[in-house]
Amino acid sequence: MNLVSLQNQLDNLSFGILFVTMLIYWVGAAFPKIPLLQNLGTTGMAVANLCIAALLSARWIEAGYFPLSNLYESLFFLTWGITAMHLFAETISRSALVGVVTAPVAMLITAFAALKLPDDMQASAPLVPALKSNWLMMHVSVMMLSYATLLVGSVLAIAFLFITRGQEIELRGSSFGGSGYRLTSSLATQTTEPATTAQPMAISSKSDVGNTAVLELPAMSATATLTPQRLSLADTLDNISYRIIGLGFPLLTIGIIAGGVWANEAWGSYWSWDPKETWALIVWLVFAAYLHSRITKGWQGRKPAILASVGFVVVWICYLGVNLLGKGLHSYGWFL
Amino acid sequence: MAIESNVTASGNFWQIPQQWWRKKIVPVIANLKFAIVLVLIIAVLSITGTVIEQGETPGFYQTNYPEHPALFGFLTWKVIQVIGLDHVYRTWWYLGLLVLFGISLMTCTFTTQLPMLKSARKWKFYDNPKFFQRLALSAEIDDRDLTDLTEQLETQKYKIFTEGDKLYARKGLIGKIGPIVVHIGMILTLLGGVWGAMTGFIGQEMIPSGDTFQVKNILDAGPLARNQIPKDWSVKVNRFWIDYTPAGTIDQFYSDLSVVDNSTQKELDRQTIYVNKPLKYQGVYYYQTDWSISGVKIRLNNSPIFRLPMAQIGQGAQNRLWGTWIPTKPDLSEGVSLLAKDLQGTMLVYDTKGQLVSSVRAGNSIEVNGVTLKILELIGGTGLQIKADPGIPIVYLGFGLLMLGVIMSYFSHSQIWAVTKDGKLYLGGRTNRAQVVFERETIELIERLQNAGTGEVTGDVEVPTAVS
Repeated sequence: MNLVSLQNQLDNLSFGILFVTMLIYWVGAAFPKIPLLQNLGTTGMAVANLCIAALLSARWIEAGYFPLSNLYESLFFLTWGITAMHLFAETISRSALVGVVTAPVAMLITAFAALKLPDDMQASAPLVPALKSNWLMMHVSVMMLSYATLLVGSVLAIAFLFITRGQEIELRGSSFGGSGYRLTSSLATQTTEPATTAQPMAISSKSDVGNTAVLELPAMSATATLTPQRLSLADTLDNISYRIIGLGFPLLTIGIIAGGVWANEAWGSYWSWDPKETWALIVWLVFAAYLHSRITKGWQGRKPAILASVGFVVVWICYLGVNLLGKGLHSYGWFL
Repeated sequence: MAIESNVTASGNFWQIPQQWWRKKIVPVIANLKFAIVLVLIIAVLSITGTVIEQGETPGFYQTNYPEHPALFGFLTWKVIQVIGLDHVYRTWWYLGLLVLFGISLMTCTFTTQLPMLKSARKWKFYDNPKFFQRLALSAEIDDRDLTDLTEQLETQKYKIFTEGDKLYARKGLIGKIGPIVVHIGMILTLLGGVWGAMTGFIGQEMIPSGDTFQVKNILDAGPLARNQIPKDWSVKVNRFWIDYTPAGTIDQFYSDLSVVDNSTQKELDRQTIYVNKPLKYQGVYYYQTDWSISGVKIRLNNSPIFRLPMAQIGQGAQNRLWGTWIPTKPDLSEGVSLLAKDLQGTMLVYDTKGQLVSSVRAGNSIEVNGVTLKILELIGGTGLQIKADPGIPIVYLGFGLLMLGVIMSYFSHSQIWAVTKDGKLYLGGRTNRAQVVFERETIELIERLQNAGTGEVTGDVEVPTAVS
């Protein structure tokens, strides 16, 4: 079997696996009592991740350079990054909910790349002189990984908004300086199963923390033994979204800087306000605003998540939308 | 006029604006909400320059943004020119916002970040059990002491401080320093950009293979750029050539360049440059950016070798074409036109009537108008971009700190307090970023403490299961 037909089978295969994985996660969310489904979902994501890795390796061997030169390759690299970040997010959160939102994103990208993209845009083509550089690997791969990471983080923020819709929410897990303090009202809801229901949660204000009244709440044992207060599902989702975006942000920073240094070494200008560069800066600014909004008093909860959701759209504009402008070195070409 | 402050009549006149600055302006600029809104405004305004074409001629905007019908009802070429939407990133309002952003970064670093770091380093012990009731992740465990806890914390890489029956442990202080490093990196990057714009220059030259040149065609230079432009030395283009792929597309452009001292004519340096690899000499960079066909060497019968210049025909960026006229009679009354589109060797010869006479490759001869025309070689010209940017070291330092800082900022600053009182171990902790992982670690820690030793579990910490 030659490499080209292997690639064609692998791209369809990864689409198929991701589609099934998505369904597994959705069914698993509907029937959370079946632990088998979560394991199946995780396995599906891992297998899809390996399939795409094999696809990209075959490309690498065939073309002789790192496979990130056209839209098809970069879409698969993006999906590889998303599945990898999914596995990371799932591991640290131990929540099957992550896959409910990440699997459809990964599935849709592979569907587009494998089924919708014309054949001539799927074929690998020789690199133009401007891209013949070791910086290509460094800059483009880090940028793509940052897009993947930011997309996973921001789609989790969208999930957070969806789950907490219509609820009044204040989070204990916000990264603002006063975090980590006990929520007085939700002591009552302290259970092993965190509150998914509409529990209005209030962060204890400085004045009433340490109030002994909390010890008289009914959920406490008669001896009022001090026990840890667990994070709620909303808290967990919010924090995992924050941690993933927090990982994507350094990657984005390093990717942009690598591009700047490459441009300076190649053309003598580290910043030239090319549309792609400008949009990368916009993405950076939006997520910088997100990270700072989390440490702003009174803005915790929904506001940062809304900013992260805006970030989800902005990443897509930066990655694909700029191609519609059809200008500059960064264009992948377009077929519409 | 009564001034409500401690400014006395004999006080320094400058105290008034200083106080106004400290009390009214600094709190606004250093305010985080102000900074976030500012960042988002910069982001939104940046979009305009990616949608509206930048740096075109006035005629371009008059054609594409007519007054009737105006785009979206308002976006005419007049609006574009008045607001400066044809050069968004160099307008006073955009640069003004960037300056404001830089000031905001600096004030935030001094008024907020550094004091916060100071207070993070100035931790304290707590011995009142009430303090532990305030923490979300806290527990009381019977019959345990600090040594049990210390062992556990050591395996988790905490830095531990103890005093009598009190304990404080922390890790990830680096995560508190990271944001400061990020801000310093950003300020340096912005300053380096300003310094580069003041002292740098950019020029362009198209030089035939074999010529020596000094930078004359300066496109843009800062007010302090004079000393950067090389005067004592020139650059000689020894050779320019193009490598083609077997399919005929361009593989790479090369220029073999020598730096030559103007007074002694000595060669000071010699490098072959290509796209992605410039010549660097005394802070001036020569980048391979363009090419042309600058001339052709010919011989008529047994004449000496003539070198004729070739000129580009038309202005199209694609399908470029160069041509020259070759006389075939000493009085120049007859001749042919020679056209070439690349350096690969095939040229076309046309007569004065515009009829194609023949095609010829470099090194071959043809018979025209009764003479033997031998084309010896096409001479390539190299298109160089010449640039000096003294701001680069500052910008790169800023870049380095930025990258280091954002990585440091990923770490979560975790703190754990403990105290033994009345035979009970009270412990609690908090972290600023990784809430989920810290919760798991801490609850596992509490469990291990409860289960360790006597095996008599007295606390009632519930075993954490998967969330959801």
